[in-house]
Amino acid sequence: MSAPAPTPVQAARSAARRERWRAPSLYVRLALLAAWVLLPAVVPSYQMLDLALKIALFATLAASYDVVIGYTGIVSFGHAMFFGFGAYAVALAVGRLGASTYGHLLLGFAAGIVISGVLAVVVGAFSLRVKAIFFAMITLAFAEFALILAVQWGALTGGEDGLSPKLPGVFAAGAPGAFGLSGRLVTYYTLLAICLGLFLLMSRFVHSPLGRTLQAIRDNELRAEALGYRTFVFQLIASSFASVVATVLGGCYTMWVRYVNPESALGIPIMLDVLLMVIIGGIGTLYGGVVGAAFLLGARTLLPNLRGLGASVFAGSEILQRLSERWLLYFGILFVLVVFFFPRGVLGTLREMAARRSTAPPEG
Amino acid sequence: MKRAAPLVIGAALLLLLPLVAIEPRAWLTLTVAGLAMGMLIFLVASGLTLIFGLMDVLNFAHGALFSWGAYAGFTVAMLVNGHWGWAASPSVVANAGLFLLAVAAAVVVAFGLGIALERVIVRPVYGQHLFQILITLGATIVLEELIRIAWGPNDQVMPVPLTFQGSWDVADVVVLRFPVIAIGLGALVYGGMLWLLNRTRVGLIVRAGVENNEMVQVMGHDIHRYFTGVFAVGSALAGVGGLMWGMFSQSIRPSMGGEQLIFAFIVVIIGGLGSVTGSLVGALLVGLSYNYVAYLVPKAAIGVTMGIMVLVLLVRPTGLYGVGK
Repeated sequence: MSAPAPTPVQAARSAARRERWRAPSLYVRLALLAAWVLLPAVVPSYQMLDLALKIALFATLAASYDVVIGYTGIVSFGHAMFFGFGAYAVALAVGRLGASTYGHLLLGFAAGIVISGVLAVVVGAFSLRVKAIFFAMITLAFAEFALILAVQWGALTGGEDGLSPKLPGVFAAGAPGAFGLSGRLVTYYTLLAICLGLFLLMSRFVHSPLGRTLQAIRDNELRAEALGYRTFVFQLIASSFASVVATVLGGCYTMWVRYVNPESALGIPIMLDVLLMVIIGGIGTLYGGVVGAAFLLGARTLLPNLRGLGASVFAGSEILQRLSERWLLYFGILFVLVVFFFPRGVLGTLREMAARRSTAPPEG
Repeated sequence: MKRAAPLVIGAALLLLLPLVAIEPRAWLTLTVAGLAMGMLIFLVASGLTLIFGLMDVLNFAHGALFSWGAYAGFTVAMLVNGHWGWAASPSVVANAGLFLLAVAAAVVVAFGLGIALERVIVRPVYGQHLFQILITLGATIVLEELIRIAWGPNDQVMPVPLTFQGSWDVADVVVLRFPVIAIGLGALVYGGMLWLLNRTRVGLIVRAGVENNEMVQVMGHDIHRYFTGVFAVGSALAGVGGLMWGMFSQSIRPSMGGEQLIFAFIVVIIGGLGSVTGSLVGALLVGLSYNYVAYLVPKAAIGVTMGIMVLVLLVRPTGLYGVGK
């Protein structure tokens, strides 16, 4: 008796498994991870440390948004809202419940996850029921509502001024005994580990049978429905999962910057940033978030220097000076151009090129 | 007639129920303010519903056109006022002249921008909602930043014609003047749109083009030119809405469009996509309930629009006047 022939999915999976150790992308990923781990030892500047961790956080956030927009095909503008919930939940639990302890920190994360999970299901149940394109508008309205709530409810959230929680234990004092790490570095490695864990979790999620179903729904909803999949349930699971991931990242963000306010955690600008990261990096690639986050945050850190340069070069003309100051303008133009000419983003375009080369007939 | 009955009952309930808690005089002032706010939102939402409902384009740049209209009107009003002092003069004719010139400027600028947007940005992405959202978001960033470059990032004080300010005393009730003008303009736009869409040849072709694009082209009509026109008209409505809003709140800022866009989206969702009457009803619903609730429970005012939207979607997922596609 011979084994039954593998199904197309099984065949594709075993082929991918065979390729796993030969694919260059794996080593690129490992090298990136090594760079993140070794950075504090090599470059002791705080600015670089801050940039590196923010890139890691936002890359993971962009990846979680990619799960919604790229793998499930629903455009949500409420993703930053869940990020903000996490940020506020942790800040409130650590800052307002008396002493700053590990228990309160965990409680903050747990509360944020529960609230976000419930709200994501509620919002999804409302807005996924209607036409898919409504989802964008409704989530945008919810996000705006959350922002206004955070500003107005000053007694709890600190209003526009925000909250600055103090971290407990080793995150503040450091671990001087074993490794001689400062509080900053303990936080750095903890958050890096969380980001890595979430990234692997999302990678598992999108490559699972569930993820394949989501992509099927994205590509042809009617057909997926005809095949017997309850598309609504799958979309709800995906958007709730991504929202919870965003919540955890929001909590991590609070742990790193030790400060939240409505503008920096909940606002539409955060949402736009994440969207830009996903589009620049490549929609539906997951790892594109790393490229997008590195590009956007790197540019933003370096641009103040450029602004000084612009002020000195265009000292005479006010209009030219203003033109050099509004760097967001160039991002807007770049964004439109990327959507036009590289709709698949940096990573998507690279993958496309690689795929074309491997399927092209051998020359000569 | 059967379809009108729930509307009449709903309107009566909405208007009369607050009388239980609010004294009649304050109620009248609030009602006028609510109608005016509703009409201002309608100006923005009507453009949106035209573009989205008829052409199936998700135009997130609508808010930026709103801001551009406000700034264009502001510039003209400042120029005219600076040269001839028409805003500060007590003459109604001079005031109206300034107002009309500002409206004309807003219309021209927003119309032109609408044509440019449709030609360059929107045309390649017809039928792809995700890319429409992305690309019009990009356009929004660019347009808003251009405002910041041209006019500076700070708030500006909008010159409002003298006789348009203040209020009338009608039987001891304070009726603000500008809201009345806004209500008139909104009614005019509503009537004009219904007439254009339902009674003219252009409206017929556009509606037919939405139903069956290719068939209309076979009949010899260049449907793309009509679509450009519809997009530009929708943009012009956004521009007028921006100018009116600027005069209503007496100040303008670059991000004003994005803030109003949320209201407009909520209204379009409540009213149902593509229905002009729906967006009028939705806008008045939002405007009135916002004002009543803001008077009774100030902190809950923002929540009430969201509440209405959720409620409407629960009962009718396609909106009040929407037809499921």
